[in-house]
Amino acid sequence: MAEPLGFFTDTTVCIGCKACEVACKEWNQLPSSHGGAPTLSGDSYDNTRQLDGLHWRHVKFVEQFSPDRADGRWLLMSDVCKHCVRAGCMEVCPTGAIMRTEFDTVVIQSDVCNGCRDCIAACPFGVIGINPVSNTAQKCTLCYDRLRAGMEPACSKACPTDSINFGTIADLKKMAAARVGQLHERGEQRAYLYGADEKMLGGLNSFFLLVDKPEVYGLPPDPKMPSRNLTPSSLWSTLGAVVIGLMGIFSFRNRGATARRLEEDDVERRRTA
Amino acid sequence: MYPRSMADSDCVMVMGSNMAECHPVAFRWPMEAKTKNGAKLIHVDPRFTRTSAMADIYAPIRAGSDIAFLGGIINYVIDDQRWSTDPFFKTWLVHYSNAATIISGEYKDTEDNDGVFSGLMEYKGGVEDWPYNGFVGEYDSRSWQYARTRMGDQGRVAATAQSGEVTTTRSGTQADTAKAPDGPPYDALVKSLLKPPPERDESLQNPRCVFQIVKRHFARYTPEMVERVTGCPKDTMLKVARTLLENSGPERTCSFAYAVAWTQHTNGPQIIGCAALLQILLGNFGRPGAGIMALRGHASIQGSTDVPTLYHSIHGYMPAPSGLKKHDTLREYLAIETLPTGYWANTPKFVISYLKSMYGPAATKDNQFGWDWHPKILGDHSHLPMFVAMADGKVKGMLLVGQNPATSLNAKLERAGMRKLEWLVVKDNWLHESATFWKNAPEVKHGDIKVQDIKTEIFFFPSSQVAETEGTFTNTQRMLQTHFKAAEAPGDCRTDVWFTYQLGRRLKKLYAESQEPRDEGFKNLVFDYEHDDARERERGEPDAMKLLKEINGYYSDDPGRHVATFGDLKDDGSTTCASWIYCGVFPAPGQNRAASRQPDPPDQRGAQLNWGYAWPGNRRIIYNRASADLQGRPWSERKKWVWWDEAQQKWVGYDVPDFTPTKPPSAKPKPGATGMDALGGGQPFILKPDGVAWLFVPTGLVDGPLPAHYEPAESPIQNPFYKQQASPVLKYWKRDDNALAAIGDTRFPYVITTYRLTEHYLAGAMSRWNPWLTELQPELFIELSPELAEEKGIRNLDWVRISTPRSQIRAKALVTRRLRPFTIDGKTIHHVGMPWHWGWEGVVTGDVVNELTSLVGDPNVTIHEGKAFVCNVEKVAGARNGVV
Amino acid sequence: MNAVGLPSTFFTDPPEWRWLIIGYFFIGGLAGGCYFLAVLIDFFGGAVDRPLARLGYFVAFPAVVVSGLLLIVDLRRPDRFWHMLIQSDTGHPMLKPYSPMSLGSWALLLFGGFAFLSFLAALEDAGVLRWPRLAMFRPPHIVGRVIGILGGILAFFVAGYTGVLLAVTNRPIWSDTTLLGLNFLISAASTSAALLILLGHRRWYWRSSVAALERFDAMVLVLELIALVALIASLGSMARVWLNAWGALLVVGVFLLGIVIPLVLQWRPNLLGERWSAPAAAVLVLVGGFLLRVVVVLSSESLGVLG
Ligand SMILES: Nc1nc2c(c(=O)[nH]1)N[C@H]1C(S)=C(S)[C@@H](COP(=O)(O)OP(=O)(O)OC[C@H]3O[C@@H](n4cnc5c(=O)[nH]c(N)nc54)[C@H](O)[C@@H]3O)O[C@H]1N2
Ligand SMILES: Nc1nc2c(c(=O)[nH]1)N[C@H]1C(S)=C(S)[C@@H](COP(=O)(O)OP(=O)(O)OC[C@H]3O[C@@H](n4cnc5c(=O)[nH]c(N)nc54)[C@H](O)[C@@H]3O)O[C@H]1N2
Ligand code: SF4
Ligand code: SF4
Ligand code: SF4
Ligand code: SF4
Ligand code: SF4
Ligand SMILES: [Mo]
Repeated sequence: MAEPLGFFTDTTVCIGCKACEVACKEWNQLPSSHGGAPTLSGDSYDNTRQLDGLHWRHVKFVEQFSPDRADGRWLLMSDVCKHCVRAGCMEVCPTGAIMRTEFDTVVIQSDVCNGCRDCIAACPFGVIGINPVSNTAQKCTLCYDRLRAGMEPACSKACPTDSINFGTIADLKKMAAARVGQLHERGEQRAYLYGADEKMLGGLNSFFLLVDKPEVYGLPPDPKMPSRNLTPSSLWSTLGAVVIGLMGIFSFRNRGATARRLEEDDVERRRTA
Repeated sequence: MYPRSMADSDCVMVMGSNMAECHPVAFRWPMEAKTKNGAKLIHVDPRFTRTSAMADIYAPIRAGSDIAFLGGIINYVIDDQRWSTDPFFKTWLVHYSNAATIISGEYKDTEDNDGVFSGLMEYKGGVEDWPYNGFVGEYDSRSWQYARTRMGDQGRVAATAQSGEVTTTRSGTQADTAKAPDGPPYDALVKSLLKPPPERDESLQNPRCVFQIVKRHFARYTPEMVERVTGCPKDTMLKVARTLLENSGPERTCSFAYAVAWTQHTNGPQIIGCAALLQILLGNFGRPGAGIMALRGHASIQGSTDVPTLYHSIHGYMPAPSGLKKHDTLREYLAIETLPTGYWANTPKFVISYLKSMYGPAATKDNQFGWDWHPKILGDHSHLPMFVAMADGKVKGMLLVGQNPATSLNAKLERAGMRKLEWLVVKDNWLHESATFWKNAPEVKHGDIKVQDIKTEIFFFPSSQVAETEGTFTNTQRMLQTHFKAAEAPGDCRTDVWFTYQLGRRLKKLYAESQEPRDEGFKNLVFDYEHDDARERERGEPDAMKLLKEINGYYSDDPGRHVATFGDLKDDGSTTCASWIYCGVFPAPGQNRAASRQPDPPDQRGAQLNWGYAWPGNRRIIYNRASADLQGRPWSERKKWVWWDEAQQKWVGYDVPDFTPTKPPSAKPKPGATGMDALGGGQPFILKPDGVAWLFVPTGLVDGPLPAHYEPAESPIQNPFYKQQASPVLKYWKRDDNALAAIGDTRFPYVITTYRLTEHYLAGAMSRWNPWLTELQPELFIELSPELAEEKGIRNLDWVRISTPRSQIRAKALVTRRLRPFTIDGKTIHHVGMPWHWGWEGVVTGDVVNELTSLVGDPNVTIHEGKAFVCNVEKVAGARNGVV
Repeated sequence: MNAVGLPSTFFTDPPEWRWLIIGYFFIGGLAGGCYFLAVLIDFFGGAVDRPLARLGYFVAFPAVVVSGLLLIVDLRRPDRFWHMLIQSDTGHPMLKPYSPMSLGSWALLLFGGFAFLSFLAALEDAGVLRWPRLAMFRPPHIVGRVIGILGGILAFFVAGYTGVLLAVTNRPIWSDTTLLGLNFLISAASTSAALLILLGHRRWYWRSSVAALERFDAMVLVLELIALVALIASLGSMARVWLNAWGALLVVGVFLLGIVIPLVLQWRPNLLGERWSAPAAAVLVLVGGFLLRVVVVLSSESLGVLG
């Protein structure tokens, strides 16, 4: 396997230009929603709304202003698949459509997927959606085709401010740590990395520098693997099955004798009636 | 300056632009300054934008109050201790600026003249044939001149788009030169223009010296006044001022970035001048990370002013021959327009080489190089007056190449103009609003205008796109870059050069037999750029490289030999050069420097001199001699750029030195000399006749030598600064369809501004047809504060009606705290804003915001005031697009 | 959008599993439930109960076919349903034991096979097919016993794994408890018993079998009541999200109509008259079981912040 590759997204330098969104769409030839004419969302400058099958990048706009505007921030962040080292989507996929590549990225093979949508429910970040053209589940491929050709992903290449940094995870982690240090030094104490260490799903190969709680950016504070529920759920169900089985046995046991007696009762009753 | 240099700034002040949204690629450099050097980013804007989101300091101001804000900073800087004691600032002031120069005793400042400058009078200029110059008043600038010199000695009005008339015609300059010898050579003529040098007071104590005038002028721009007029809390303004000052000096530099939020005002050039004044005080020119970044708009809009599509100048920023000036002969033109000292002393060489490129061998010394054939302007022929004339039925036909006036400017009036044309040619990639106004415009849809009443014959020529065209771009850095054709244009689509070339060829054929004297020019015009490639030739495509060669210049008798630098240009017709500033881009056949693509090695300090070619002479930072002190030493190691090398006895550095290469810093001006010899080794501003930067601008601007705060043409308040409300010389075309709201008109109580979104491009043809872009911003909206929304019962996404005295339109409300109410002059003034990209064609459609704007313009460059006017906002029921 | 404080499961996207999936959960549950009941009766009941078991097999096989079809139709690419069983590129079997959906697909397939064999045997038993050798697919024949044991285990699986499937995601409610599988399984048992009661109660000579089933159902309903309370308890503070119409439906539809009233009717059959109380109770149990799935599936589908 080649060295793991991924993204470090420094949200503090994102200018919300959406070049990444458009570059992604252009490279991957993804169509627009509603023929390009959806209605205005009214949610700041975000008319993309979410990551889904047609939007593999999504720039978020979070307006934070106190009523008197003494404090004011406009947090901008370009969201994307996290290419989790332990990927929930991949874990549940029943067709094997989701694979881990030689770059340690997570890719959905569109020609394998049958659209069961289990991965959508499983992804802790709400990344995946059905592409209405292929009718299969789709998301960022981390430009697998470009990586294989030795090229940088389209989105990071288009990013004018280097908010999206692409590279080996080892390099990116160094870069990210330095940037957090720099921000702390300059008084931005809130800066921290989301998903850079192994604690979160074994590490996110696309991790972020944030300056507020994850929820503010629409990110789960504590993403987990779907399989955490597998064993307990199965055990409870098995227990249930045993109990029900016993109840069944109890209910029909010795039914030979009882049933006969009941039938006799019935004949009796009919006769008297 | 140029964008990449902003990475070297220690503080970047974006004001008059929303750089992150409108110039996202260039914005990477301020961001780099921020992340790498910890530079401070300041954004001054009525709205909290994506640029503000990146800023360390965001200062909200009411649209149209920029001079008040900048004036406050200037006042602070002049009063500050550090600034007046540090030798760096002192040197800049005394030696690199005109602070010490004494101004004529007749000069009266706004302070002593009721808020206007001396020389204000009623406008009486222009000619009967062209009553569209639009001035509401006029200044005679004689009294603004340096003492002991006269009008025209300091500079000329070359680069402004006023009506083409200057008071020089009355000042008698040409009378003095009438007896001067003719040329070529023109050295004697130039010499005859010399005047005694102006008086100076290097102690800066003389009350008539520029410094004292400036100091008095800005004294009333106190923090309290700034807050009262701009609505920006004074502490914020003072914080900005402190940050700028702290980041200026020998070790540090600040840069400014602006775009059309400084230009689209009735005093735009004055705002820019105000910033320049501040930057001179702070020593921020000619140095890395210093200066004022004019962010230009369209691709190659820089190129289109260098080799201009502007009416008022000929190539290389030389004034267009004008019927309103004494331009009857070439000699008269040169006598008026040449500055005897500084680089512009070479004007005769540039003009004659230009005439040679127009008329080739037919241009000779005996026929004044074809001077009489050259068209002359009659007044202000820029966009706004042209459409007013059109609406008056004065214009027969129009070629509309790559523009969409039906929506991009004062839409209703412009459509009225186009309806009066006999013929209209639209050459565009799309059938945009200006091609379909005759059937789909709101007034037609509403039945106010009947299609059958429009007699205009409209021709549509499909255009190829940029990637289907070969040529060069000149970007905002003045850098030429060749771009190659990536694909063939489909069908009948043709390039713009094809169109122009073919039109020219056909017209030449048409005039070939004419005996009319007025057609001589056309007959003699050199117009031969046949392509060497057989296929392109067959299609009639001209050769872009031949055009570049024409612009670069060559030797008239040996066209195979290119001119290598503008220093080689001659005034005797032996050189041919369309645009002197581009000289050197193509120094030899096969050596197209616009195509060079060699970046500097990473982490090496340099100016990327082998990437593209920046005019003039591949200098990346103009006036870069100012990056060294009087002795020619770098101001600091950190801000080293160009310096005097004693050993080599020449100027060296990372960049091409913008100075006479071997003139030592100690060199004194030669008495009685012309041109560069008239400047000493310590005078970096070589395009200025006195070699210094101008705090006080005696010539070049028609609306005053110093910036003063005037209210926009439409304003909710009386000007708190002066009795004079708005610029006394602004341009306004009084018509029924161009009414203005009175000051404080209660029917239109809100201040409105218009702007761009990253997701769209201008009038929309280049974005509203692209679903990838339209889905990002699908509908027209108006941004308003929750406070105003509550007052008017408007909820987010409600439809609202926006009205001005001109018209009304609808849009959806986007309620956001990014907009705020201002307290102006004690009153709460609500501020709203609208992006203006919509129209009735394309994938997404919406009302035309420019229905709302008016035809008022700046007196220097006649740009419309699209950035600050007043309106009303009301909630409406219903969701129909179209003028209501 | 102020999402601070929301649990992590709110930041995920709904898979748009709606009516087809609810239908599948319900009918699949009936298939499994009826089958295991039939097997239990075959193994432990008397000869007199065999017609009732036969009815179970009659229900199980068509139900598993229908549920399989629902599942396929719900795929966005039904033409590729087989990708769940066979790797499309290599042709090898596709099985991920840790993916409930993968395992479930296989279980459904195999269960379908067993249910088919039992179905054939039941047809023979009913005299529809006259091919006595088919009787071997049903106990007491040794082959039938094997089929019964394997099929029965699979039936339990099919009846319960759907809840596990929901749990093995990151969606709100579904993955916030580990008791959905248990609840679905119990509900499959109660609804299946109810269905068989409903189909069987009119035939007098099945009366005793049905009565046993009713007793069974009563026990299961009590169990279901406990499991449901445990489910809500296990959601902890997440249960707040049911403080809405879905919660009301859960209380009224599932608790009251689906469990409590049927229990009362069994306890006091005279309330509706002997004739009506059993079928009424059965219908209510079926409705309740259906609504349980509706509430569980749709209440989660409607949750989430745009991410
Ligand atoms: N995406 C995109 N990029 C573009 C263009 C485009 O259409 N779309 N157009 C290109 C062109 S042609 C041009 S000219 C440039 C223009 O570039 P900019 O001038 O940067 O663009 P605008 O959005 O017109 O205005 C910038 C800002 O000025 C603010 N503003 C309004 N009035 C005032 C004022 O009086 N004072 C101050 N200080 N600020 C004010 C507005 O709120 C707005 O945020 O952009 C170029 N780049
Ligand atoms: N209210 C308000 N009004 C404004 C402004 C504002 O800020 N506020 N901004 C003003 C400014 S700064 C500007 S620059 C103007 C812009 O106004 P316009 O120049 O009228 O608008 P564009 O949409 O840029 O029009 C350019 C056209 O050129 C076409 N085109 C593109 N490439 C080619 C080509 O190679 N050849 C040809 N022939 N056509 C081509 C495009 O399809 C498009 O239709 O708008 C001005 N109007
Ligand atoms: S973010 Fe979601 S879609 Fe991406 S790899 Fe992780 S689990 Fe899969
Ligand atoms: S939708 Fe496709 S990718 Fe997702 S789990 Fe199902 S088969 Fe796998
Ligand atoms: S890496 Fe490629 S696929 Fe993923 S978001 Fe970027 S451009 Fe799109
Ligand atoms: S391209 Fe970069 S700066 Fe622009 S929105 Fe995307 S991440 Fe942000
Ligand atoms: S549109 Fe072109 S010129 Fe404008 S920022 Fe993008 S790349 Fe630069
Ligand atoms: Mo522009």
